[in-house]
Amino acid sequence: MWETVAQAVINGLLIGGIYALVSIGVTLIFGVVKIVNFAQGEFVMIGMYISFFLANQFGIDPLVSLVLSMPVLFVIGVLIQHFLIRRVLGPNDMPQIFLTFALSLLLLNLALMLFTANYRTVHTSYSDEAFHIAGLYIPVAKLIAFVVAMFLSGALWVFLHTTDLGKAMRAAAQNRDVAMLMGINPNRVFCVALGIALALAGAAGSLLMPFYSAYPFVGQVFVLMAFVAVVMGTLGNVIGALVASLLMGVAESLGIQYVGADSGLLVVFALLLLTLAFKPTGLGGKAR
Amino acid sequence: MTSQGVRTRNLLWLALGVAVVIALPLVVKSSFAIDIFIRILLFSFIGVAWNLMGGYAKQLSLGHAAYFGLGAYTSTILQIDFGISPWIGMIAGGVVAMLASLPIGWLCFRLRGPYFTIATIATAQALMLIFLKFRDFAWGAEGTTIPNLGSAPLMMQFETKAAYYYVVLGLLAVGLAITYLIERSWMGYYLVAIGEDEDAAEAIGVNAPKIKRDIYLISSFLTALAGTFYTQYIYFIDPATAFSFSISIEAALVSIVGGIGTLWGPVIGTILLETTSTLLQSWLGSSIGGVQLTVYSLILMAVILWRPTGLMGMMREAWQRYVSRKPARA
Repeated sequence: MWETVAQAVINGLLIGGIYALVSIGVTLIFGVVKIVNFAQGEFVMIGMYISFFLANQFGIDPLVSLVLSMPVLFVIGVLIQHFLIRRVLGPNDMPQIFLTFALSLLLLNLALMLFTANYRTVHTSYSDEAFHIAGLYIPVAKLIAFVVAMFLSGALWVFLHTTDLGKAMRAAAQNRDVAMLMGINPNRVFCVALGIALALAGAAGSLLMPFYSAYPFVGQVFVLMAFVAVVMGTLGNVIGALVASLLMGVAESLGIQYVGADSGLLVVFALLLLTLAFKPTGLGGKAR
Repeated sequence: MTSQGVRTRNLLWLALGVAVVIALPLVVKSSFAIDIFIRILLFSFIGVAWNLMGGYAKQLSLGHAAYFGLGAYTSTILQIDFGISPWIGMIAGGVVAMLASLPIGWLCFRLRGPYFTIATIATAQALMLIFLKFRDFAWGAEGTTIPNLGSAPLMMQFETKAAYYYVVLGLLAVGLAITYLIERSWMGYYLVAIGEDEDAAEAIGVNAPKIKRDIYLISSFLTALAGTFYTQYIYFIDPATAFSFSISIEAALVSIVGGIGTLWGPVIGTILLETTSTLLQSWLGSSIGGVQLTVYSLILMAVILWRPTGLMGMMREAWQRYVSRKPARA
């Protein structure tokens, strides 16, 4: 009994690390640029396909191709901010919500046209390896993904709190007008925020590849989870998103264990709706 | 031209349009074409229902599939388990959808902007998962086919596609009439005020929570009618079709492309999108997945970036340019 629970919690935490990379990206964009990026999941998908093709064509390990998928997605993020999102920043909700939504539809369906709906997998030497500790089963690939995800999240936190650019981003998130008066160039800060957020999504994609299949719709799973985590953890709050993502992972895993294999998402939605009902500002707290 | 003259002219155009759409199935006999007309009318109707709330009050829901699905399931359960006609089931479905919109609205309307949109997505997805899971109650993931009774107008089953065409045309007419009446009532002005700036609207005494709740009731009722019709038309129901995210997407898409918050916007938007999709399919074949939505999303992005007022806005501008070029008449 106790071991089943512990195993479910560990499975949840490990996948929660990936959710964290995706939701930290969503929350970073929301905090700094004040838009919700509905296409975040599709960038995970792109990261996965980059790693898949590098592994398939050149035999490059997905963990190595991380160093390529992250910068590629960083550049994509900067371009998207500069050429698309910048044009819809204004008081009106509709263009902001539906621009990234259209982008999500576009990328998803382009992937469907180019790569078909087939599931693509990469088999690495460590894909089937696992540690057995005290009766618990810990797959190596998932553990590596979790550790790298936590490392990247920590690195982002250090970046946001110690560098000038990071502080500028936090300032822009707190009060855009005052930040601009202090001489912060908003478009530059926004470009970096988009770039970092997409790079994290790309990292999530590469980290997933050794144990998860790539297919055009794969991002939808992660973005839904990320939205739930981000709303629970208060939109715009990086630590909140991280903690909520890990909780989401555990909740989903326990849901699968105790309610049924197809109930993971149901448990997660139930949590979201409960959060909205009783604490609409998220677990992180303060009203916006 | 006097305003009286404008009104007479508009009425003449409307009468002409009505005559054309009524005569259409009598002239066009190809069932392929009528099928496309039915799709256009159906999605126009869903768009009109969405537009009441999403367009006028700018409550940008991406969860209207919840009501489409509830309407579809209510009438189908009543028909198969209790032998009740879908005509009654359709109204019952609308009532169920209205009842469901109360708690869903209570949850979602506490949120603004993108939070609201995410919450509506979650509620629709959660409903789909519930219907997937509880198989004793509603056939689970496999869904069920509707028994084909041949020609049974009382059970909303017809031998010709033309009959379905007139049913959905009637629905669209009802939706447009309701929109027309609301647009010209105090409620229409309140909705637009909420859509422009909810805080300012409340400050001048608009009871925003009540208005939003009321328009959500109307919008969900109409969306549920579309769900019943669609199930009767395709003789099949399962959670993946009834609660399909693409229903929620298309409801918003046709309204935005056509002209958000305008009476005819959803209709114009649907005509453009469905025609494009049909042309693409006849040109490329339906073998390649994703083509249709790729094109839809490009159109949507173009509208958002260059013409946020949609096709209606473009047509209005073109009309004004045409009018201002003509010398003024006394």
